[in-house]
Amino acid sequence: MRPPKPLELLIGTLLLAGTAAGQGVKLIANSSIQIDTISISDLKSVYLEEKISLPGSGHVEPVLAKTGPAHEAFLRQILGRSDSDLQLYYRSLAFTGRGSIPKTLDSDDAVIAYVAKTRGAIGYVSMATRAEGVRTLDLGTSASHGDRKLITRVEPDYPETLRQHGIGGTVRMQIVIASSGSVRQVEMRGGNPALGEAAVAAVKLWKYAPGSSETETEVSISFDPGH
Amino acid sequence: MRRIALFTVLFLSVHQLLLNAQDVKIFDRTVQFHGFASQGFVYTDQNNWMTMNTSSGSAAMTDMGANASVAITDKLRIGAQVYDRNLGQLGQWHPTLDWAYADYRFTDWLGIRGGKVKTVSGLYNDTQDMDFLHPFALLPQGVYPTVIREVTIAHKGGDIYGHISLGGKNGSLQYTAFAGERDDSKYGGYFYLEQTPPPVLILNSLSALQYGGDLRWNTPVAGLLVGVSRFSEDNQGDGIFNAGGGFMPFTQTSKADWNNQFYGQYIHNKFELDAEYKRSWLDELLYSGAEEVQTNAKAWYVAGSYRVFKWMQVGSYYSSLNVNSPVGPAGPSSGYTHDKDLTVRFDANRYLNFKVEGHFMDGVGLPGVYPGGFFSINNPNGLKPNTNALIVKTNFNF
Repeated sequence: MRPPKPLELLIGTLLLAGTAAGQGVKLIANSSIQIDTISISDLKSVYLEEKISLPGSGHVEPVLAKTGPAHEAFLRQILGRSDSDLQLYYRSLAFTGRGSIPKTLDSDDAVIAYVAKTRGAIGYVSMATRAEGVRTLDLGTSASHGDRKLITRVEPDYPETLRQHGIGGTVRMQIVIASSGSVRQVEMRGGNPALGEAAVAAVKLWKYAPGSSETETEVSISFDPGH
Repeated sequence: MRRIALFTVLFLSVHQLLLNAQDVKIFDRTVQFHGFASQGFVYTDQNNWMTMNTSSGSAAMTDMGANASVAITDKLRIGAQVYDRNLGQLGQWHPTLDWAYADYRFTDWLGIRGGKVKTVSGLYNDTQDMDFLHPFALLPQGVYPTVIREVTIAHKGGDIYGHISLGGKNGSLQYTAFAGERDDSKYGGYFYLEQTPPPVLILNSLSALQYGGDLRWNTPVAGLLVGVSRFSEDNQGDGIFNAGGGFMPFTQTSKADWNNQFYGQYIHNKFELDAEYKRSWLDELLYSGAEEVQTNAKAWYVAGSYRVFKWMQVGSYYSSLNVNSPVGPAGPSSGYTHDKDLTVRFDANRYLNFKVEGHFMDGVGLPGVYPGGFFSINNPNGLKPNTNALIVKTNFNF
């Protein structure tokens, strides 16, 4: 593994500060959602109501949190919009008939409860929140998994000290998959550097289906101190 | 006074609705209800604007709407919105059906909607009658002329639309193709424009087949969108006119009537930058074919906004309109309008906002042909070349 670049260290440090304050985001979905990983672009399209279904899962319904650190982090990291801008976007859908304002709930518990009982629902909560009765999704590039099927996934060793201190978050990595299916190169792109080493080590052991050429893609691994 | 009372009643009504719920369960389906009401005040230092008596200050700037929609199935959605406005001499409190349609989405990349449909064209054609969706009280008038927005804002017909993912590194495309009948109102700006003498012209009917499409690319650069729209129509109208010797039959037919629009938008957290260019070409046969009039309009704007606080957003734009036509009235009509805008928007909460907006305009467009908001009939002493305007507007929506 190459050493992180200064910018990555800065981003990682900022995310670490956020994570320590409980600002990491955990993606959750109803059990009807049949995927383990969703790309940032697909997730964004779901929340902007451009996509109404996910592969193999059928209908999908985005669920919003009203406020809170998870909501702020989700807006910043995934949607790249302020809350005010997002509300105006949803109102433009509702007032032209092209969509509706998603279910918006007051707390992580309410989001989990709604997602658990609602077919196709997908939501987000704080990383430290225990999410029972729902599926937890990883953030990655689902398209790449479609191109190069992931055969063997190795879970990372969660550093116990970090887990005990409630430090979690999502590590994003750019990887190069060799035509043989092995992961030839891994570069950390974002997330907590303290978690990055374990994430990179795990991803290097992943095996994909053989392909006609090398494939470059982005993947992520989430560390949940609550689990 | 009647208007203020009506607005107050509406405000209290929608506030009460808001206190209850926007979502109501009916037959195990969630029906969403939404509504809005806006009230503005406009003062201009020179010309009367937007058919209002703005040089004395005018509060004849009210609009409101309410809608209901429900997802019948995961793929089928129906809804409708009623809209009413009073803008100077336009609207005159005659409610209209803003949109009402059924929308069936087969898959992400293919959907159809039919009924009365808001027309997707450029960044804001379909939402230009709802200012609370924008930082500005008035969108750039060269591209989105408020007084004649009925011409383009909706069609009675159908759309084919979809969203196509281009893969992780290439972004995504959104397309819309539409066709339908133009939905004009006798209380709209086009009918008002046609009555502007000379000669006196009274339109009985005006219809048009409209068709076109919009293609926008959500680029791989986060927050950057670019797009292009095409809008065409074949219009036909009839009525009577009087050039001084009594009324005679009048017809109008378009030989060519289209506009092309190119646009880009960049959003990064609290910052938004929009830019659009629109070229319009209209070739019409008027007075039963006795006169052919060609109008060539080019308009563009650049607009930026920044949310300083959660409760305050600042914005500004520069808008330019240039119109060429052989029938422009003589006098100070400049054939152009250059508008510099400054806006501050205050959001008391998600539902209530106030805007204070200044316009510094040079030129009055080409009244009688392609109005950017100035009509000769509202300015009997002649139009002055420059106009500064102050708009104060508030909106409540839920």
